[in-house]
Formats: sequence, C-alpha cells, structure tokens
Amino acid sequence: MPHENAGQIPMELFAMSGCNDYKMTRRQLMTRSAAGATLLGMPINQLIAATGQDHAAKCENVILFWNGGGMSHLDTWDPKPGRPTQGEFEPIQTSADGVQISEIFPTVAKQMHNAALIRSIAGTQGAHARASYNLQTSFLPGPVQHPGIGSVVAHEKEKQGDLPSFITISGQARTASYLGQSCEAYFIANPGDPDPYLKFPAGVTVAQGNERLERLEKFNNRFNRGTTDPRLTSTSTSIDDAVRLMRSPALKAFELDKVAPKELERYGDTAFGRGALLGKRLVEQGVRFVQINRGGFDTHGDNFTRMREHGEVMDPALGSLLEDLSESGMLEKTMVIMMSEFGRTPRINDGAGRDHWPKCFSCFMAGGGVKGGTVIGSSDEDGGMPKDNPVQVPDIHATICHALGIDPYKEVYTRQGRPMKLVDDGSLIDGLLA
Amino acid sequence: MGTSSYSKTFIQGKTIGCPGIGYRDTNAKNDSSRILETSVIRLLPIAALLWIVSLSTAWADPSTLEEKLLSENRSLGVETPPAAPVDDLGFARRVCLDLVGRIPTGKEIKTFLAWPPQERRQRLIEQYMSDDGFADRFSAFFADMLRIRSNQEGGNALLAYVHQAITTDMPYDELCRRLIATNGKAGRTPEVGFVLGDDADPMALASATAQVFMGIRISCAQCHDHPFDRWTREDFYSVAAFFGKTRRRENNLTRTVYTTEDKMSSVMWPPEDESDADQRKPMKASFPFPYLDESEDLTFINRLEALRAAKTAEAEKHDGPSVDDLLATAGEKTRTRLNGGLGDLLKVSTEAKTDIRKIDVNADLYKRSQLRRQLAEKITSPRNRYFSRLIVNRLWKDLVGLGFVEPVDDFRENNPASHPETMDYLAEEFVANGFSIRWLVKEIVSSPAYQRSHAPRDADAAARMDLEKAFLVTPIRRMKAEAMYDSIVTAGHLFEVKHLAGQNPRTFQQRIRVAVEPSGDEEEKDESVEEEVEMEAQAMMAEDTMMASSADYGLERAIEIDFDALLSADDTSPMIDSMQKMSREQIEAMRMAASPTPKPGMKYITKLVERTVDDNPKFSSSYRMATPAPAGHFLRLFGQPARVDLGDDRMENASMRQALLMLNGQLTHQAARVGPLEPVYPMLTGSQRNLEGAIQYSYVEILTRQPSAAEVAEAVEMIQSGADELTGFADFRWILLNCNEFRFLP
Repeated sequence: MPHENAGQIPMELFAMSGCNDYKMTRRQLMTRSAAGATLLGMPINQLIAATGQDHAAKCENVILFWNGGGMSHLDTWDPKPGRPTQGEFEPIQTSADGVQISEIFPTVAKQMHNAALIRSIAGTQGAHARASYNLQTSFLPGPVQHPGIGSVVAHEKEKQGDLPSFITISGQARTASYLGQSCEAYFIANPGDPDPYLKFPAGVTVAQGNERLERLEKFNNRFNRGTTDPRLTSTSTSIDDAVRLMRSPALKAFELDKVAPKELERYGDTAFGRGALLGKRLVEQGVRFVQINRGGFDTHGDNFTRMREHGEVMDPALGSLLEDLSESGMLEKTMVIMMSEFGRTPRINDGAGRDHWPKCFSCFMAGGGVKGGTVIGSSDEDGGMPKDNPVQVPDIHATICHALGIDPYKEVYTRQGRPMKLVDDGSLIDGLLA
Repeated sequence: MGTSSYSKTFIQGKTIGCPGIGYRDTNAKNDSSRILETSVIRLLPIAALLWIVSLSTAWADPSTLEEKLLSENRSLGVETPPAAPVDDLGFARRVCLDLVGRIPTGKEIKTFLAWPPQERRQRLIEQYMSDDGFADRFSAFFADMLRIRSNQEGGNALLAYVHQAITTDMPYDELCRRLIATNGKAGRTPEVGFVLGDDADPMALASATAQVFMGIRISCAQCHDHPFDRWTREDFYSVAAFFGKTRRRENNLTRTVYTTEDKMSSVMWPPEDESDADQRKPMKASFPFPYLDESEDLTFINRLEALRAAKTAEAEKHDGPSVDDLLATAGEKTRTRLNGGLGDLLKVSTEAKTDIRKIDVNADLYKRSQLRRQLAEKITSPRNRYFSRLIVNRLWKDLVGLGFVEPVDDFRENNPASHPETMDYLAEEFVANGFSIRWLVKEIVSSPAYQRSHAPRDADAAARMDLEKAFLVTPIRRMKAEAMYDSIVTAGHLFEVKHLAGQNPRTFQQRIRVAVEPSGDEEEKDESVEEEVEMEAQAMMAEDTMMASSADYGLERAIEIDFDALLSADDTSPMIDSMQKMSREQIEAMRMAASPTPKPGMKYITKLVERTVDDNPKFSSSYRMATPAPAGHFLRLFGQPARVDLGDDRMENASMRQALLMLNGQLTHQAARVGPLEPVYPMLTGSQRNLEGAIQYSYVEILTRQPSAAEVAEAVEMIQSGADELTGFADFRWILLNCNEFRFLP
C-alpha cells in the first residue's frame, strides 16, 4: 500500500498525527543524545543498538493461523498420555526426535522437524475478548486501542510487490489504530471469491474503463493547474497505485479456481485449506503478513468429536503448507504460527467438554528462523500450569518481531501524542530461534 | 540469545509506558503574554455597563469578527490583504456541503440564482440551516467529538439524542451538562451513552471530559505529572473523583446496562503504585482548572443571564411543569411500585420480565450523581473559558479548515492560539447568545474569513501555509466521508430508484446449511464442520474489530438506524437495544446461532441455491448508518474515525483503497449510469433530445457550475465516442464524480 500523503497539514500537527514520520531515525537519536537526553533511562548507545537492524533476522513474511475460541492445548500440541486428563486422543511420534503431538495431526507430525512448540504460555486472560486482544496485540485492553501484530509488521517492513502488506482471510483482524490506514488489513472474506473492487464494475469494458482513467487524469490535471499541493496531487498518486494493483500479475495469487484440483485436494478442499493455500500464494507474492482465521474452538461440550473434526480440516492444510514451503525454500523466510487466545481445562466436564484455561497453553511456530524440532518450556503432568520456562504473551510478540528484524520496543505515537512501544515489553524467547 | 540487542532489564525499571519523550512540541515558545489567565484579564477590560439586552438571539455583525481577525494579523506583522471571496456558485456548493453535508441539487441552484445577488448568500444560509440535513451533518460532527459509537451500549440512542438537540438548538451548555451528569439505562436514557462510552470508568472519564469539553489533555497525568503542562497526577485524581461513585451495572434478568451511584466506592489517593493500601484514602473531588473570578462582572455573562431570564419568563407564561418536575414525579411512582418487594420479582418467568423492564425504565435505581452535577456545572460555566473556546475552535476548524489552536483539543500554555482575540470574541458572543450552536455556525459561515477563496494553485507550500494560518485564504478541504457518500448519491439520483422495475435483475448464489441424516458419507463431513465454525468465528470476534467485507460490494453498504424509533423505543422491546448496536454480520450470526445447534453425529451439507432479484440500485444517507462504519468501509476509508481513542481526528489522506472504491465501486458506477426516471434522461433520448443541454445540466448538478464551451465540446466528443450515447454519458458523469473538482470544496 502506498504511504499515505498527509495533505497539507501544518508540520507541527503532522508530527503528532500518528503518521509515519514519527519513526525515529538513528540520526535523530544521536542528535537527542548530543542534547543530553537519555531515553527510557537507559544508556543511549544501548538504545541505538536496539534500533539497529539485526542481520541475524531471517524472517520476511508471516502466516498466522488464528484459532478463535481457545483451542485445547491438551488435544493438540501438549498430549498427556496416561493421565485422567488425557481425553480420547493418543499421542503420536513426529519427525522431530522425542516430540509427540496428538493423533489428530498425522500430516503435521511429518513436518515437526521444521517446527517448534511452546508448551508453557502463562496467559492471564480467561475471557474471549480480552484474551484475543492480548494474544493479537500483546497488550491488555485499555483506554488506547493497540494495533495487532499484523499491522505492526506492515508498519515496520517495507512493502514488497503490488499486493497489500497485510491480508486477513475468513475473518477479522485487529485494527491498525494509531499505525494508520496503510497498515490496516485487507480483508478477504472467503478465499477464492473474486474481489469486485479490483476490476472495473460489471458492464464497463476494460477498454472503456481505461479510457475513463485517461480522461479523468486530464480533468484532474486541468483542475490542479500544476499545483504542488499534496492534498490535490495525492488523488492521482492513489489512483496510480490502485491501477497498478488492478493490473498486477500478482493478483493471480487470488485465483484459486486455476489451481490444479490435486493441489487443492492436498490442502483439503475446505475454507481453511483454501485459506492456507491462498496464504502460501500471497507470501510468494511478497505479502508480509497473512492472517487466516478459524473459529469453533470453544469446546465447552463434546470436545473430542469437535477437535477430531478440526483436526481433519486443519491437518492436511497445515501439513501441506509446511511441506510446500519447506520444499520451495520459502520456509526459511516465512514464519508460520498457529495460536489461540487460551487453552482448555485439563478437567473434562460432564458434557465431555473442556472449559477456558489461560494459565497454561501452547502455540505452534515454524520457519522464518524458528529452530525446527524444538519444544520451549513444558507444562506440569496434567497440563495445568507451566512447569518450566514460562512464556508471557508479549514474549511471543517480541520474538516474532525479533525474527523479522523489528525492534519491539520502538516507540510510535498515538494520535494523542503518547509514545507507545510496538510490543508491550516482553523479551525474546530463549532457544526458539536458530 | 547472543543476537538479542535488547533485554528485559532496561524496561523493567519503568512501570509507566509514557515517558513523553520525542513529543514534537514545536510550539514550545513559552510566550508568557499568552498564558491563559493573563490573556483573559488583558482581553477583558471591564466594559461599560451600558449594554442593550437582546431578548431574542441576535446575530452579531460578521464585520466585527473580520475586524478582529485582520487587526490581530496586523499585530502579528501580517499586512497582506485577504483573498477575494469565492464566487456565488462556489459559495453555494461550499455552504451546502458544510451545513447539510451534501452537494446542492440542480433545483436548489436554480432557486439560488433567481434570488437578488445582495441577499443570495444569507438566504441560502437560512435555507440550509432550516433543512433537516443540518442536524444530520452536525450530528456527525458531535459524534466525532463525543466519540459516539453505535456498537457501544446506548450509542445509537445517544446519537439520536444529539441529533434532536441540534434540531431543537438545545443550548450547548445544557447538552453537555446532561451528558456529564446523567445516570440511567442505556438507550432508554440516551444521555447516559456518553458515560457508558468509557464504561463509566472514572479514570477514562476524567481524561475524556477534560479533553472533549475543554481541550485539556490531562490523560498524561493519570500516570505521572504532565510533561508539558501544569497538570499533576493529583489534579487528575481529583477530577476522576467526580466520577468515583458512578458505577456501570448490568441487570441479570434483562441484560440491560445502566449507571448508578454507589456510596461505598471512591477514587483512592495516593495511587496504587505510590502507596500501600492502608495509606490510601478517598480522593476529594475538586476542579483544578482555573476560570474567571466569580465576582467579576462581565458583559457577555450579563447578556447571557438576561437572555435566559427573558426566556424563562416567556416559558412560564406558556408551559406547565418543567422536565425536571416531571422526572421527579416519575421517580416517585416507580418507588411505590418497587416497594412491593424485589425478592419476588427475581423469581419471575419470562412473561413477567416485561414488567420488570417497565419498572427499570423510570426506576431511581439510577441515582442522581451529585458529584457529577457539580462537575457539569463547573465545566459548563460561562466563566469557564476552556469550555466555550473549545467548541468555538472545533467548529471554526470544521468550517474554515484550520483551528485557532491545533490540534483542536490541545489547549496548553505552550500551544497558544494563533488569533486569541478573535477566538475569544467568538467564544464570548457564543456564550452571550445562549450557547447556541446554530448561532455559532451561522456566525462563522456568514463571516468573510469563511467565504474566502483558496491560495493560488502556484503558491509554494510555505506561502500557502502562511496565508492559510492567517485566515487570508481558506485551506483546500476534501469533502468529509459522509458528505462525499451523500453527494454521490445526490448527484446520481440514488436516494430513489431511477430504473424501471425489472431492469436490473441480478442472479446470485446463496449458501444454505442443510441437515441430513447421518449417512456415513465422509465427503460431506468437512463442509459441515466448516460452516459451523465459521459462524462461531463471526459471533465471537465482534467487539470493535468489525471489518467490512469487500465481497459483493460490501464496502459501500451499511445498516440504517432510525433516530425516531430510538428516542421513542418502548421498554417492552429490549431486543431493539441489542439489535441496534449490532452490525449486519452480527445479526446474521445471531440468527444462525438461533437455529438448531449442530448435534454431534448429525451431518450437514452446504447447498448452493441460485436466486434472482430485482436489484434496482438505491442508497440511503450515510448520516443514518450505524456509525462509525466497520473498518474498510467507504466512510472509514475517507476518514471517519474509529472514535475509540481521544484525539482521533479525521484523516484527509488519499489512499489506494479509496481509489479502488471510487474507480470500481457500486456507488460511483450506479450514480454514473443513466436511469429512465432521471431528469436528464429525456434530454438524451427521443424527440426532446438535447445533448449539450444534458451536459450543462449535469455540470450544474454534479459540479455546481456551468461548463465552458470547450468543456461542452469535450464532453460531446467523449459521449459520442462511447458504445452508445447512454454509455458515453455514463462515462462522462463517472469522470465528473471521480475528479478532484468534485471531492474538494470550492
């Protein structure tokens, strides 16, 4: 997406306006240090180091599977064989030495040498809305709306190719809030459906549409009379950007109907499978952050039937995605994450369900610098509490940022002029990245 | 991790995420002569006590405003004369967009031009100020300022209430007093929507009331003394204490939300992070913001008092008991009914819930807040300069394009007004004229400063900005999102259908979930799960993250809200409250959720059903949509703010997504298409055919001006090179709707 032109707003306002120019450069930091400022009470040289590019960062794109409702960790990534809390599923061996996952993921199991699990997330929020906010933004809800991790990535990583930097599929993403409209997710409701806004409306031929565009440009030039006023000239820039996207060969990525049926089959021909396949095709076109949403994990009742069904949908999609990314080499620079707002209770309730459980749950990560075959932390014998190496929610965000070469503590400004870190503190998870 | 160049250590020492560093305070020249109190005294020599009581609201002479402005310019060393006023048609377009939030119709322009030139402008102002659109458009202004959100408890009712307040010209101080002080049930007591907007949280409300009504940004002082202003943390807590007893409650039976007072609760001081629990004591509510000495005799306040005394005298002649009297009686009645004992009521069946709701409506469960009444009195006092200056500054910015103080809600000693005397002149007159928003709007749009043309196109950026800051030219403004939407609908005659029935058939496929008997047919299984879980995802992810889907041109649609119904909603229909705050998707999700829960073992299949409908395009006004629109919607892309955070102003940027919407969306497409029920149609077909006439007609209708001969010739060529003339004419209109001249105000 184009950088937004700020129009002709007086500079002193613009500086506070939550737009891109609050990005502090290293030189600005140096200048401030010369003036005797210490930032955040830390030595200035340390801060400069913190804002510098980390050349170890390997990740360029992210595919986030957001499993809304609170996915059971015990029936997926953290099985507890032989315990009363085990439930109906048996653990299976995976391609990673000593790492077992639930039987509902046979295809994914073959890719675990590429993936890492965090089994000791110590969440604090047990209600869907607050927990989802926390997991997607790293912050807790408060008077300021915080942007989601996808918007943070779109804000910090330079746009590649013609497609928008941040795309969300089959569901909502969090707002970009103070990071600005250009970091807002582009929403694809149903993977494979055409987006009507990317072509001329029905009834207008391509030749006619192009003719309209040419004449429109003449009208605007005449009206602008050679002005340099960005308020007027930015209309043309925005049209140029739109037309570039409309004519971009990259749009082919969206055309799932042209995909060989066999390939679709491998991902499972479901909305989720199509979403995963689309996600792969989008990052191949340079999209920085793809979020694929799926709900139905709030399994207060009949947990095992429902989780088995989830497994049947998710396993081929996630497994094939990892296999394809790994084969093409894209996995080296593409991080695949699957997470949820919390886990489920070890106790199985009377309705064969499990209830909300934020105190300990798991998350799946692969690629983009994640060390394959790794397990971070562990839970106690029933999966109720972290046993060692507890991970705080913002740590996950800090680690994602780190892999992408983004400084999670960089400050941006809200519209109110209040400085905000990109991530709510949190630190790099030791041992997760290669 | 060796490569980690940051670590937990350097952040742990810091509990406050708001160090205030890097705040670009370029206005930090601490000009002591502009310090608030000093300037107040300097600007207000005690005027001669001789003044004329004006019983009706008098329109001040706009020339006084102009004199103040130019004299202040001279004192700042600016001698440049102001730019000429915009021409009559330009003025008509500008003032129509500003007063009723859409472009003028061809008919209105015809009438306007028939009026004598000397009185045209004033008559047009009068006409649009008495138009229904006036309240619609200024409701959007107040919705931004008050952060009104449809998906908030009582949000739509608050919007409807503000709309009514504008219609009736409720004095602004009275409106604000009600918003700050009222307790009650969401929706039923519309004013309470303001306090519920911040979940009745004392800290959030301290920040919001100070910033929204006075332009004082004390929110920084919630965590630490304000870095660039005088406000301390203690000041912040003393304001929060006014809200310390207010509580948001939810009725367990009806799920309705209301606010009330709780004697036991208080804002505690010192703050949690500064003191042990046993050291903390209830904070005394106090108002730290200075205002004019109560004893000082001020002309504009005397005028206000005289005006109000006269109005009261007038009202007493005609009216019975006051609203307050009626409310008091209603409270009595309710108490009597409640004396029957609440215990029995708690065991009620569904049918009996209706009765409880009736009691809810007027119950003094919603205790009055004495503290908030005190705060409301202080904030809205005519002696509180912050209060009148803030609204004057905001409306001036909204109409002229640039505030005296920028950002409009950031009044600080080191962020002085560009023209303090002009601003205070307007503020005092606004107070003296009974805090009338209509007076203020009229005064501004009647002023020469409002009516000036823009800087020359070839002016360089610095020169242009200087002229704009001195109000010698008006800044170029893009139509606001709602105005743009409604202007396209107006220009394209889309408020009503313009095609004959059956001319726009549309076939579409609909997915329907159908239950089938368990059959062991594995192929159907995945689909069933998929449908179910997607539905749940929709219902769960509600909150403030709703996004508009581009599928099926969803970015230009919206759900409508009915202001009248909201203000007259009877208490037996609480579903309306909850339905009204939902988006279309949420309602759909709820409807689907109400259908039989998928049973384990039961199989469902998704069927695609083909349907054909008569899709005769018709759009309704964006001022009556659930607001703010979902993220990604036309209105949001063109700058409608989310209205969650304070200081969230409208952005005027151009973006690719806007362009996609304008180039390929339904709104511009349908507005451009020619329909047989449109006035221009006979000029394009049949015996009445007059192509040049149709072109001239459309120029006036869409751009509010006559085309030049060259423009007519150009349009003729364009239209005749189309596949046929109607197609060519659609091309021509599409360009007029898409061009800069359309979207930027003259």
